[in-house]
This record gives sequence, structure tokens and C-alpha cells, in this order.
Amino acid sequence: MKRKTILALLVCCAVWAFGLWPLQAAEPAKVLVFAAASTTNAVTDICALFNSRGTARAVASFASSSTLAKQIERGAPADVFISANVQWMDYLVEKKLIDPASRMDMLKNRIVLIAPVSSSITAVNMAPPFDLPGLLAGGKLAMGDPDHVPAGIYGKKALMSLGVWPQVEPMVARARDVRAALAWVERGECPLGVVYATDAGISSGVKVVGRFPESTHPPIQYPIALVAGRTTPAVQAFYDLLRSKEAKAIFEKYGFGLTAP
Amino acid sequence: MNPLFDPAEMEAIRLSLKVAGLAVVVCLPPGVFFAWVLSRLSFPGKTLVDAVVHLPLVLPPVVMGYMLLLLLGRQGLLGGWLDRALGIHVAFTWKGAVVAAVVMALPLMIRAVRQSFDEIDRGLEAAAGTLGAGPWRIFATITLPLAAPGLLTGSLLAFARSLGEFGATITFVSNIPGETRTIPLAIYNLTQVRGGEGPALKLCLVAVAISIASLLLSETLSRRAAKIIRG
Repeated sequence: MKRKTILALLVCCAVWAFGLWPLQAAEPAKVLVFAAASTTNAVTDICALFNSRGTARAVASFASSSTLAKQIERGAPADVFISANVQWMDYLVEKKLIDPASRMDMLKNRIVLIAPVSSSITAVNMAPPFDLPGLLAGGKLAMGDPDHVPAGIYGKKALMSLGVWPQVEPMVARARDVRAALAWVERGECPLGVVYATDAGISSGVKVVGRFPESTHPPIQYPIALVAGRTTPAVQAFYDLLRSKEAKAIFEKYGFGLTAP
Repeated sequence: MNPLFDPAEMEAIRLSLKVAGLAVVVCLPPGVFFAWVLSRLSFPGKTLVDAVVHLPLVLPPVVMGYMLLLLLGRQGLLGGWLDRALGIHVAFTWKGAVVAAVVMALPLMIRAVRQSFDEIDRGLEAAAGTLGAGPWRIFATITLPLAAPGLLTGSLLAFARSLGEFGATITFVSNIPGETRTIPLAIYNLTQVRGGEGPALKLCLVAVAISIASLLLSETLSRRAAKIIRG
């Protein structure tokens, strides 16, 4: 009887240890990329390209740049950071968490006003007098939270330049990242939304009804940099790939603008 | 001016209390109904009803939020009808925040009430029946009063769950200051902005204080209720 109990315990321990075995196994060199939600498609493709070469494995975590920056600040094991605005990169540079020499500003984007494909709104003149409340007709304007999501911050600046922010502010549905705002417009829950041109480009459910003039908001740049003290050969290889012609072609395919090196 | 909290924080606190309080009120009737059905009836498919009722407890809150958006959004099955027939908008409003809280809190309410229904001595109900009381009267004068501790516990759990609700709320009704930005959403936002750590911590302490206060209140009330029931 007692012996049986001990045997059962031993078996349990063995099964448990076996279950944990994979945690012990050596993993291939890994690159963890923290990238702004708006770069989801392009960076996923670049990771796939990197992984197909087989030397190391790259995985990406996508969220709002603010979320990612805060996570890196708290010690998240990220190797590469792709931010959708300059401020959040500066924030990490100030905290000495970024290798400043690795920083490059090569990606550009635009913000646009979108509507569901089925919407009767077709073209909006993006200049004052800009009757956004009238166009919303009681609905909400979907955009990234202007408190912290870069797409929302640019959107707020642009709407301020166009003189409609005070009226529109109470009508804004604030999303945790720009892709959530896109989804609300896609589903027709919000009649209009402010997202990046690249987001509008990947969705078949929305149409661009207006492009915000570049003079209405600060330039939208995506700084890319390596996190300080985490550079390994695999990370360096991924960084080099990001600067390569192949990666640039992928970024362009999804509608990003590229600044001349 | 309130020296402790700025207007935005006060708004989040007030909104949280409103949403959680209303969620408890809305939860009570269906909570008691399902608890009674699950405790007293046996019928084919009862296990299924039991499982469906408990779904919000085990599903990720984001899934519940998304399902609510699909169902109650303007383009949703029920939401479209509400919009056209009654002019009621739930998505992106505080009413939607109440709906999200109710859905997430209902299983906890049902579990607590059902347990106290299970514990009631059925002989008391039968005695009332032989003395000529109808089923509604038995329920109102015997069953429900005897289940008071369960109702209190259920209400407290529902209140606490509603107060903490985040995932379903942010997915279904967004994060609109003064409309749907409750304490947890305000904390989330503060942790996303520069210099928000201090205010975020302050709101965390508020959440703790409200939770402890409601725990103490429910504890006192249910002890008093138990005393009255035992006579």
C-alpha cells in the first residue's frame, strides 16, 4: 500500500519533470522586436523573411508605442524598438535604455480620415471650415487615444490645426492602439476614424475620405533603434535586415514612405 | 476645489461607483431567477444552461467585450434594432459600460444566490405551503428572506467584479473620459503617459479603499442577516 503511494508519487514527479523538459532545452538565438501596432503587417513580413534564413528566430510584439516604451522601461526583454513617434523614442533615450548610435529615422507615414466602405461620405475637404461634427451625425470618431497613442496624438494636432478639436473631443472613441480604431470603423460602429494611411491601405472594409495636409501636424516618423546592452550577432543581423533593400520594399508595399538615407 | 483629486480623477471615481452600483441592481433580478432555476428545477439541458451562464467567468474578458460589440453595436443584431426602434445607443456610452459589467458579474451573483437557495431547509417552504401560501408568497416570504446572506454576498461580488472590469469595457465601449473611463481604465491610461505613475498609484489606493469598504459593509450586513434568520 505504502509502496504503491510512493510509486504513484514518483510517476507524478516524472510526468511533471517531463512536461517541464522543453523549458530546459536550448533555444536558438532569438530576437524580440517591439513594434508600433501600425507596423504589424510590414514587421511580420520582415520577421518571416528573417526566420526563413534560419540563423536565428525573430518574434515581434505589437502594441501602441506608449505601451511598448513603458514596457521597455520596466525591463521587458526587447532587442529592437520601432516607435510610431519620436517622443516615445526620445523618452527611452533620456532613460539611457536605447543605444543612441543605432537610431535611424527612415520610415514616414500620413494620417487620413476613413469611413466604412458602405458609407455615403465620399470626399471631405480637409480645410476649415471643417464640419466634422455634422459628418459624424451623432456617431463617434474612432482614433487612438490622444493622451498617449501616437496616431491619436497626431490626429488631435491635425484637428486642432483645422479648428475642430474643441467640438469633436467629446465625440471621440478612444482606442488603445490605432488598429483597434481601424476595427471600429471597419465594423461600421464608428462612421469616421483617424488612422494612418498604411492602416487604411491594408483594410478592405474602409475607404479614405480625406488626407490630412502634412502642414496640420508634426511629421510622422518611425524611429528604429536597438535597446541598450542587448546587442547580439542575431540582433545585429536583424537590424541590418531592417536597413536592407528587401525590408524597404516590404515597408513600401504597405504604404510607408522612406526617407533618403 | 477638491485638494486630493483633480476633476478627471473624481469623474472616474464617480463613474465607477455609478456603473458598479447600477450593475448590481440590474444583476439582481436575473441573478435570482437563474439561481432559482438552477437550484430548484431539473430539466433536460440544465447542464448546458449552467455552462452558458458561467461562460463570462471563464472566457477572456476581451472576448466578451468583442461579442457584446458584435451583438449590441450599431451594426449588431440587437444593437441595430435598439437604435432603430428605441433610439438607444449602448456601444461607446456609459450604459454599455453597465452592460459589460452586468455580463461579467452575473455568474458570480448566480453562484452566491444559488448556494444559499440550496442551503434552505425545504421543509419550511413545504410548511408554508400546507398553511395555504401560494408559490409566489412562499418565494417572497420564506425563500428570498432566508437567502439574504447569499444575496448580500452575490451583490458584493458583483459590485467588486464591476468595479474591476477592464477588458470587456475597453473593447466594447472604449475609454471616453466622463463617459466610460472608469477607475481601471483611468489607471491604464495613466500608466501609458509620462509622469502618470503617481496619479495611477493614487487611483489604485482608491480602488483598494472602495473594495475594503464594501467588503466590511457586506460582512456586517450578512452577519446581521444571519442573526435575524437564526432568531
